[in-house]
Amino acid sequence: MVQLRPRASRAPASAEAMVDEGQLASEEEEAEHGLLLGQPSSGAAAEPLEEDEEGDDEFDDEAPEELTFASAQAEAREEERRVRETVRRDKTLLKEKRKRREELFIEQKKRKLLPDTILEKLTTASQTNQNKSYLAVRLKDQDLRDSRQQAAQAFIHNSLYGPGTNRTTVNKFLSLANKRLPVKRAAVQFLNNAWGIQKKQNAKRFKRRWMVRKMKTKK
Amino acid sequence: MGEFKVHRVRFFNYVPSGIRCVAYNNQSNRLAVSRTDGTVEIYNLSANYFQEKFFPGHESRATEALCWAEGQRLFSAGLNGEIMEYDLQALNIKYAMDAFGGPIWSMAASPSGSQLLVGCEDGSVKLFQITPDKIQFERNFDRQKSRILSLSWHPSGTHIAAGSIDYISVFDVKSGSAVHKMIVDRQYMGVSKRKCIVWGVAFLSDGTIISVDSAGKVQFWDSATGTLVKSHLIANADVQSIAVADQEDSFVVGTAEGTVFHFQLVPVTSNSSEKQWVRTKPFQHHTHDVRTVAHSPTALISGGTDTHLVFRPLMEKVEVKNYDAALRKITFPHRCLISCSKKRQLLLFQFAHHLELWRLGSTVATGKFLVSGKNGDTLPLSKNADHLLHLKTKGPENIICSCISPCGSWIAYSTVSRFFLYRLNYEHDNISLKRVSKMPAFLRSALQILFSEDSTKLFVASNQGALHIVQLSGGSFKHLHAFQPQSGTVEAMCLLAVSPDGNWLAASGTSAGVHVYNVKQLKLHCTVPAYNFPVTAMAIAPNTNNLVIAHSDQQVFEYSIPDKQYTDWSRTVQKQGFHHLWLQRDTPITHISFHPKRPMHILLHDAYMFCIIDKSLPLPNDKTLLYNPFPPTNESDVIRRRTAHAFKISKIYKPLLFMDLLDERTLVAVERPLDDIIAQLPPPIKKKKFGT
Repeated sequence: MVQLRPRASRAPASAEAMVDEGQLASEEEEAEHGLLLGQPSSGAAAEPLEEDEEGDDEFDDEAPEELTFASAQAEAREEERRVRETVRRDKTLLKEKRKRREELFIEQKKRKLLPDTILEKLTTASQTNQNKSYLAVRLKDQDLRDSRQQAAQAFIHNSLYGPGTNRTTVNKFLSLANKRLPVKRAAVQFLNNAWGIQKKQNAKRFKRRWMVRKMKTKK
Repeated sequence: MGEFKVHRVRFFNYVPSGIRCVAYNNQSNRLAVSRTDGTVEIYNLSANYFQEKFFPGHESRATEALCWAEGQRLFSAGLNGEIMEYDLQALNIKYAMDAFGGPIWSMAASPSGSQLLVGCEDGSVKLFQITPDKIQFERNFDRQKSRILSLSWHPSGTHIAAGSIDYISVFDVKSGSAVHKMIVDRQYMGVSKRKCIVWGVAFLSDGTIISVDSAGKVQFWDSATGTLVKSHLIANADVQSIAVADQEDSFVVGTAEGTVFHFQLVPVTSNSSEKQWVRTKPFQHHTHDVRTVAHSPTALISGGTDTHLVFRPLMEKVEVKNYDAALRKITFPHRCLISCSKKRQLLLFQFAHHLELWRLGSTVATGKFLVSGKNGDTLPLSKNADHLLHLKTKGPENIICSCISPCGSWIAYSTVSRFFLYRLNYEHDNISLKRVSKMPAFLRSALQILFSEDSTKLFVASNQGALHIVQLSGGSFKHLHAFQPQSGTVEAMCLLAVSPDGNWLAASGTSAGVHVYNVKQLKLHCTVPAYNFPVTAMAIAPNTNNLVIAHSDQQVFEYSIPDKQYTDWSRTVQKQGFHHLWLQRDTPITHISFHPKRPMHILLHDAYMFCIIDKSLPLPNDKTLLYNPFPPTNESDVIRRRTAHAFKISKIYKPLLFMDLLDERTLVAVERPLDDIIAQLPPPIKKKKFGT
């Protein structure tokens, strides 16, 4: 037999919290509370429930408590309202915090910036420098420009020569004509001179050393 | 003619940059071409397709769009986010205005020519007003989600079509809001993972929008309802460009496979009024992607990654069916990129960002060998050609012009912002370089540099029209004189020629004709009468001081400087006229030189032939054979005398970039085979051929 744990009270945990803060003004609420704290009672349709909850351990084949629709609905609405209230309160708190922080930052920045007069001078000065031989450029802008240009060139390269395009090497392209001649000829670049460079170099060196040795032994 | 030993040079690794955009201007019949290295060239189509101006490139400038606005103003926009206007009179960039939208992908001028529209990386379409001296930002249109890759105005100027990635939007110009958004299928009747990039759009006056995209489709949309009308699948690869004729009865598209298709509006049946668009002609003149096309009233113009500029006149539009209706392909540059130091047998090659100095090889074939050697033999090299110097330019700008002095001790080159002069010292086999610092500011942006024959004077033609003479001595220089621009505007590219005795300097480059200056007295001597075609090459003969000028319509004039009039030979030639085959050559003459001991000979060359004109022999008329190679020795003397005429043409060395006489018995010919250029281009689209 499965031992069912003692059922938790139907009253929501925040009821105590509610009691601390909230004002149970309306009678309805009180009535609800009363109903909830006690046994959930139903409307006319429901049947009265067991009063003794601790008897669950002994009578484990008892049917579970029944809840009426109205009570459950009321419960859910209450829950929702409470959650909404907390969220609203949290939000206002955060907003206030942010506002205070923002003001603090503005104060700090103002302290950091140069006085307005110097800033004005700078902005007017930058316009008159156009006829001089130098050009003042912000490096950050230049980097951004370069990276965008690189991205654009990469896009073009990918769409024309990237994967999915049907490209061939120039050697193969020029050799097509050779293959269709009445007397077939080799490809335009038949030899691959870039093959085995290291091996060829080693062989050359060995040959040179061997020749020298041969000359020595001959003598 | 005599016998010559020829240095056949193939180590000039010249690779032109690919063509990115072209823009055709109907009023002046000129074509603006922009390349991937940022160079913008202007071709004059009525002057025999000659490149008359160019703006040097820049490393950070990646032009993506080029357009003409009203009043012959040229604008370009690129991935650095700036709109640039080019000053065609002063040959510099007027200003560069940042559009603040990130990299700019497309630009279109309104049909009225007074407004400019740019499509940016962040999806915004910006409208600019063209004021008389600048452009001014007017407003932004509704911002779209992805980059705007192509733009087109409706001929009435009320709507625009903007092609983006996977969709096309139609905007109303007045309100700036997007009226329609048409989704493009990623693949013709299929599904694909790759996004469909709409490379080009064109808006016709009846409300049809034509779009070309990366799936190989050409689609017709109705802009009033925002629906697809017709779809053509024309290629397996991207269709990258579209251009519509002014009368809107034909348009041309270019594909990534190198094919150019011509679409025409033809009636459905022979006597019906209903018309439909039909793909009529395919042209395969390119091997790589055709990134740009243009439609002039009589021809289709295409250019792409394989660096050729192709003009295909349409037979039905051409009135007179003569040689003008032939295909023109411009591959090689119209100016000389090589200079030669005859005393030390050095060649200076000019690239976009560096210069290379080479010493020619030599052979020890002596008299005995030469006597027994026949015409056309290859002599063995005893000493290979030597790569002496690789001089990189500082900064991102391209080199405009360069020159080496005849003695080989000075090298000068110019970019847009600086002028560089170097002194070379030769000790045994080593070479050392020393830069002359503190060059004056007025020398920069030079269009042409020339050293005098004795290497004591340097002549610089600047792009403001002024001509500067600088005295060189030891390791320093002194500015002697500046000839200010004469009457007439600085129109074409400037060419210089100096006489071997150092007295006369000839300068072309203004519309008033070729000016001849007296160098010793520092004043203007005379002006050759103006000719309506630009000058392509000039040189002054030794001793006789005759100025020989070649124009872009293949006319050659000889003007005597001391007598201040055309020579008798030149008058005879003009009266009789040149042979028709001579006039039908399609590459300009880029270099003229003379033989030191034979004053009757003129050596000139273009890309596919070199010719020695012998002034003592009779001129050919239209009936004689122009190209008559050396007849076999067993022919009788009579026949040889009958067929001999003044123009000795040889086509052995081609394609020729440069040819000159080093001394009395030696010639140098710099060739650049087309296959060597193609081998260094980016990869092309794979073509599947049956049987391979």
